[in-house]
Amino acid sequence: MISTNGARSNRSRGLAGFRIVLIEAVAIGIAGAVLGFAANSVSPRGLKLWRDYFPGAIRPGEFTVSGPTNVAGKGTVTTNVTELVAARLKAKGLTALGLEQVKQLFNDTRRTTGLVVFVDARDENQYVAGHIPGAFLFDHYRAERYLPDVLPVCMNAGQIVLYCYGGECEDSEFAAVILRGAGVPNEKLGIYTGGFVEWSTNGLPVELGQRNSGVVGSERR
Amino acid sequence: MIPGWRKAGRVIVEAGGVIARLVVGGMFIYAGLNKALDPVGFLKLLRQYDLVHTPVVLNSIAAVLPWFEIFCGLLLVCGVGVRGSAVLLVTMLVPFTAIVLGRALELHANAGIPFCAVKFDCGCGTGEVYICSKLVENVLMTLLSVWLACGYGRKFALRYNLFGSGDV
Repeated sequence: MISTNGARSNRSRGLAGFRIVLIEAVAIGIAGAVLGFAANSVSPRGLKLWRDYFPGAIRPGEFTVSGPTNVAGKGTVTTNVTELVAARLKAKGLTALGLEQVKQLFNDTRRTTGLVVFVDARDENQYVAGHIPGAFLFDHYRAERYLPDVLPVCMNAGQIVLYCYGGECEDSEFAAVILRGAGVPNEKLGIYTGGFVEWSTNGLPVELGQRNSGVVGSERR
Repeated sequence: MIPGWRKAGRVIVEAGGVIARLVVGGMFIYAGLNKALDPVGFLKLLRQYDLVHTPVVLNSIAAVLPWFEIFCGLLLVCGVGVRGSAVLLVTMLVPFTAIVLGRALELHANAGIPFCAVKFDCGCGTGEVYICSKLVENVLMTLLSVWLACGYGRKFALRYNLFGSGDV
């Protein structure tokens, strides 16, 4: 009888302990969440909670891929990146530009008068490490910082070439959607799908540092 | 009179508890700091999982989670509310591991490469990792957290229990 009571007492103490641990976890969880929101709001790198950082984003199932596809694994449809990007751009109503077109635009004399504009949609660190000469930096995740400089230039331009890394990178597309939303006509916007990787690996000129820094080199990786 | 081997065993368990707190806490502080310093990068990685489609929810997770991890890591390292912190870490680690595993299986099926050759940035704050080593790491972290939640790691704890007496 005594041992039964002892076991019951131990069990109730264990349950009480478990309850206290759960209460402790909830308290720490609430404190952590409050601290997280506070830290994000004071951090210079903090996110704006109500902003859509991926405007016009399209989920893989929401567009169709033309051209040959093959089925691998458990019914997963695989296709190459170029087809995927082309289909995505089509769904967003954006125009894709290839390397030859971009090279032509780069050598176009209208570039010197601001009628052809290049826009780099990567972040500042990547831009400083190397960008297409004369390209404007427009990190759309910090749009409020760059839009005042980039928007007037784009409004005056006749052709805008946006690029990011290339491949599956979508930042140039999001930047284009933001510019379109700010009033830049859609027909002016072109996405260089090969991106900076294709540009630099083809030995084309690369500008280092800030825009018009004069430090131009070509890199072949 | 406690036999010597029993005493030694107790010392080892106590030391193991402290080491577990430092290892798990340290890992969470490191991973959290990496994410907190580049919240946009973390946001992009979170989006890849295609689990949340409401911007405010996705942004809130990307904004709060890194600091939350740092907070829990610091509590463990300092020994404050150890069991509660460990329970929270387990409730984070288990679903995270499942989600990362799901993504790895998807990549494995798409790329047609051996499962352990799958390498990607899972948004775990440690850059690109091979999936098998990541899974082993997560399982170990989960086990250590469960062990801490069971009441170990009291030595050198500033305030082991936030509420109630110390013997709970």
